[in-house]
Amino acid sequence: RYRAKPLCYHCVESKFRVRLCVKCYFLILYNMGNKSSVMLDEQDIKALQADTGFSGSQIERLYSRFTSLDKGGSGSLSREDFLRIPELAINPLGDRIVHAFFKEGTDDRVNFKDFVTVLAHFRPIKRSQENKLNGRDEKLRFAFKMYDLDDDDAISRDELLAVLHMMVGENISEDQLNSIAERTILEADKDNDQMISFREFCTALDRTDVEQKMSIKFLK
Amino acid sequence: MTGPNYSNKSRVFGLLLSFALIAGWLGTSAHAFSVVTTGGTNTTADGGDLGNATINGTLRDASRSSDDGTVHHMERFPVIVQDFGRVETPFIISLWIFCACLGKIGFHMSPRFSKMFPESCMLILLGVIIGLLLFYTHAATVSPLTANVFFIYMLPPIILDAGYFMPNRLFFDHLGTILMFAVVGTIWNTLTIGISLYALSLTGIFGDMYELPILHMLLFSSLISAVDPIAVLAVFEEIQVEEVLFILVFGESLLNDGITVVLYHMFEGFSVLGQYNLIMQDYLAASASFLLVALGGTAIGIIWGFLTAFVTRFTKDVRVIEPVFIFVMSYLAYLNAEIFHLSGILSITFCGIAMKNYTTQNISIKSQTTVKYAMKMLAQSSETIIFMFLGVSTVHDDHSWNSAFVGLTILFCSVYRVLGILMLSAVANTFRVQKIDFVQKFVLSYGGLRGAVAFALVLTIDKDIIPAQPMFVTTTIAVVYFTVFFQGITIKPLVEMLGVRKSSHRKLTMNERLHERSMDYLMAGVEDIIGKHGNFYLRDKFKRFNTKYLTPCLVRDTQWSEPKLLETLNYIKMEEAMSYMHNSGHPPEQIESFAALYRTAHNAAHNAQLKQGDGQMIGEIWNLDVAELEYNPTAKHINDANFHHMLSDEYKPIKKRRHGGTYKRHAVQDEEMVEGSTTETHRNRNIRQPFVNHHHRYHHRKNKDGINGKAGGSDHIQKLNGTAITLRNDYIEQQMRDNPAFQPDDTDPGSYGAMENKDKAYKRMSIRGPVVAETTLPWRRHILADRPTRASIVQRRQSVDVDNDHVPTMAEMLLPWKRGDDLDGNSEPRHAEHPAWASNEDYIDTDSPSNTYLRRIGDVAKPNIQDIFKKRNSSASLYSISESSNGLKEALRRHSNQSSPKKEDGRKRSHEKSAYSRRSSLKDESYWRSALSDVPRRGMSMRDSRENSEPSSRRSSVRDIPSEVGGHGGSLLNTAITEEEPRASPGGTTPSPRAEHVINMEPAGDTPNTLETDRDETKF
Repeated sequence: RYRAKPLCYHCVESKFRVRLCVKCYFLILYNMGNKSSVMLDEQDIKALQADTGFSGSQIERLYSRFTSLDKGGSGSLSREDFLRIPELAINPLGDRIVHAFFKEGTDDRVNFKDFVTVLAHFRPIKRSQENKLNGRDEKLRFAFKMYDLDDDDAISRDELLAVLHMMVGENISEDQLNSIAERTILEADKDNDQMISFREFCTALDRTDVEQKMSIKFLK
Repeated sequence: MTGPNYSNKSRVFGLLLSFALIAGWLGTSAHAFSVVTTGGTNTTADGGDLGNATINGTLRDASRSSDDGTVHHMERFPVIVQDFGRVETPFIISLWIFCACLGKIGFHMSPRFSKMFPESCMLILLGVIIGLLLFYTHAATVSPLTANVFFIYMLPPIILDAGYFMPNRLFFDHLGTILMFAVVGTIWNTLTIGISLYALSLTGIFGDMYELPILHMLLFSSLISAVDPIAVLAVFEEIQVEEVLFILVFGESLLNDGITVVLYHMFEGFSVLGQYNLIMQDYLAASASFLLVALGGTAIGIIWGFLTAFVTRFTKDVRVIEPVFIFVMSYLAYLNAEIFHLSGILSITFCGIAMKNYTTQNISIKSQTTVKYAMKMLAQSSETIIFMFLGVSTVHDDHSWNSAFVGLTILFCSVYRVLGILMLSAVANTFRVQKIDFVQKFVLSYGGLRGAVAFALVLTIDKDIIPAQPMFVTTTIAVVYFTVFFQGITIKPLVEMLGVRKSSHRKLTMNERLHERSMDYLMAGVEDIIGKHGNFYLRDKFKRFNTKYLTPCLVRDTQWSEPKLLETLNYIKMEEAMSYMHNSGHPPEQIESFAALYRTAHNAAHNAQLKQGDGQMIGEIWNLDVAELEYNPTAKHINDANFHHMLSDEYKPIKKRRHGGTYKRHAVQDEEMVEGSTTETHRNRNIRQPFVNHHHRYHHRKNKDGINGKAGGSDHIQKLNGTAITLRNDYIEQQMRDNPAFQPDDTDPGSYGAMENKDKAYKRMSIRGPVVAETTLPWRRHILADRPTRASIVQRRQSVDVDNDHVPTMAEMLLPWKRGDDLDGNSEPRHAEHPAWASNEDYIDTDSPSNTYLRRIGDVAKPNIQDIFKKRNSSASLYSISESSNGLKEALRRHSNQSSPKKEDGRKRSHEKSAYSRRSSLKDESYWRSALSDVPRRGMSMRDSRENSEPSSRRSSVRDIPSEVGGHGGSLLNTAITEEEPRASPGGTTPSPRAEHVINMEPAGDTPNTLETDRDETKF
């Protein structure tokens, strides 16, 4: 199994066993006092704010993270850029999570707008404001996509098994995995098509506090 | 309506009366005891108390009298002596518990009471009543609840219960908030209450009875400000609020103990030192001890927790002591922390939290159940006693009531609690994803109950150092009563009024488990992407550390990185099996004879073959069995058997009993326990019993009633019935299994290997000759005499096949009384369509698995439990079984069609082989695996299916039958034995192999066969 090397958090490169290499430390310090390093227009930020519901400072923070992930400096991220994050690389669902950032049919890059839009799914729900991207359904849709390997809007038994394999690793009996996958489908499958549709998925998780479980407190 | 009420009242009254009596008796006993002790200390023998004198007392009296030189009359050896002093303490404690539990029963008998009041209120009231009784009878003036008893014996079980069954995930999700409430909240309360009271005392409102310096006030406020875990548990378990709210209140009450202990000891120490002697060093030491007490207690707890998990890793052979480790080691953690005046509560809480996940994987299910119930029981009884003692301790004449002080304390406690919660939750909301809303804030502040911990702490205050101690004690009692009674009673209606969400106690479904797990991974991944080290990130880190280092160290068998998923799976399976067993009662008219089905199908096929000119060999695969009688197993039987196998395969691993080894008196062998006590086994027996038991009983009854259709002389037929039933039953069952239509698509390569072995085993098998019983027993000899040679069997069978359109059974050909029937007409052999027990209502009412099965025949839409069981080895599609078993007739027809070409070669042996090989295409791997071990030694391997589920010991006992009996005869004996087994009483003696013979020779059907008690008994 791939052993995560503690890389620098910011430049994701340093070979030293430190979380934040000295170079990046000063870079960040410098950037903090220097807003102009954020190469975002006011209009862009406004538009993103309207679209995603993030505050301006949150967007700026995400932008700085975006640029630090963007090794090539091309203004967009590739899959490799994502998977360079060590923890994500050993996350069993890492590939799936990264995949969710990429829209179907588009080229293999994620620009900042896509990046923020996807992350907006995980904003906590606020009653006072419209929850366009971070509603319960949207969150569930995202979780659903983790299983839907072939993007056909239904989870088949094989897909479930594949995800289970990712999650529990190799050293477990196939029987039990099968059994779990079958149970899961049996339980959720209401129309007897041996698949879990998105509706069935939502019904199965009716009593789960998805709003809380799939929300992150984004730093201001 | 008045009737039950009245009876309830009278019952409650009766109970109360009995308490009074018990209490009175207790009082007199205690009184008697005191008399005895005073008698002992008296120098002169008191004649009036001789009756109460202990044996020690009499001896001492005697010796003293002889010392004096005056000889009184000698005490002869007494018939009975009273020695209450020896057992006083445990006796009284047991009486307390007994009283309290009776009180609980009484309380729950009247639903009106128990709906209105929390249990803790009732217990305190009961305690007060008993206290009053004791007080006015002057029986026992000693207060039973001392701080030492409380902290050393009563508190740990409750806290351990709380820690061990703490929902870890929830707790750590909200740990930040909980810690803030516990640490900051408690300090806030202590300081504000203490300072406010001190400020008011300066105005002289509390009178000038006591001197009240600020340190004393702070000491008091430190003990009064802590929320009490016991009271919170008692009240919140009844109102059942949502989990988050509960964990916030309860977590706070647990964790604030660390702070309370520190504050208490700090102010106590400061009070001893005196306000003006404090130097900087003391303050520094106090603040250092803050960290030390809390973190030290936690660390000790965690270390002991991991140690416990580590120790239980090696308890595989001594399952009985597993619970001991859990209890004792967590208690050690508590005591260990208390040695250094660290927080014992924190220690034992974290001990429970740390060990739980690992010990549950290490210890057996039995031990888990034991731990669970023992822990709950201990906690409940501790709680009961604590509240009762609280009531009893209230009644003494040392009270020092100060209305202003009591009132203001209660006021400050409530007000500052509300203020603190409002403040802290505002802070907490800034970093919480899920905000604490108004209702939650309200319950949080209203749930700040004070209880026994405060009371026990206030009792430990030294009266000499702090003169106001009596007032503190009284005030503490008042505050506790206020919170437990007023708040405890009103919180329930308030919670309902405010619409606080209630908790839903349920097990997670498979979907929820799985998806929540994947959500965790997802969120951890998202946190990685945005570069935030939040909750999910930390959990992910810990999880990884856990699976990599901790689990391999602490858990015996680790192959599974998601034990919770498996746990849920097993739970769901269990539930499903249970519910299917429960819901499968159905009327007898639905029972369809499988034999009839088969025959119809077979005849249809046979006719088709006749047209093609080859129908001759069908009987070959049919009749391998001479003992086939008029009995026809129904589909019900077959499915009972099937279900039995499935259940036994699914839930009971087939283990070889370990012979040899050391005998341990206290060892409880797991196989035994599983065998003897689980419901599955009982169910299995129930499944098998009808084959023998009901049938026999039915016949006996018929005999008695004189409506017996058979002559009494045909007793041996009845005796054979059990055998025949089983043989036939298994045979058809195998036919069913052979049939590809009944089988799931199997892709598991493992089972093929087993099948090949099986083939070989079959090839080794010889054709059976006459049975010993047949040659020796007079009533069976005619069978032998009548018996044609093998070739002629074939001949006759063929001819019969051609002549009649039905397949004659072996019995039909061999037994004269049957043959006559057959030859007379072309009718089918007479047999009861339903077995005798089918009309027995007792049996119908029992939950039979086959009802499930049969019902399914008409209703394919829903897959059922059996599919899942059968499918466990294969990855084939889920519904193949239910689809195939849909058309039973169809399947059978196909089967006979398929099998016919193979029979063309005409040689019997090869036919048998082919039949066997086809039979050996059975898919049930474990079934075969276990059957395989017996095949070479057994006459008829078809028989094996029934014993597979039996423990291997039983198998071994059957095996001891001399092999020269051989062939079918051996199998007959075997089957007879195993058929008897279910009825055998478990407590019998062990028969020798010879005895087994005798048993089967006996004409009477129900010999007291005791094979059930296995041969191991002789060894011991």
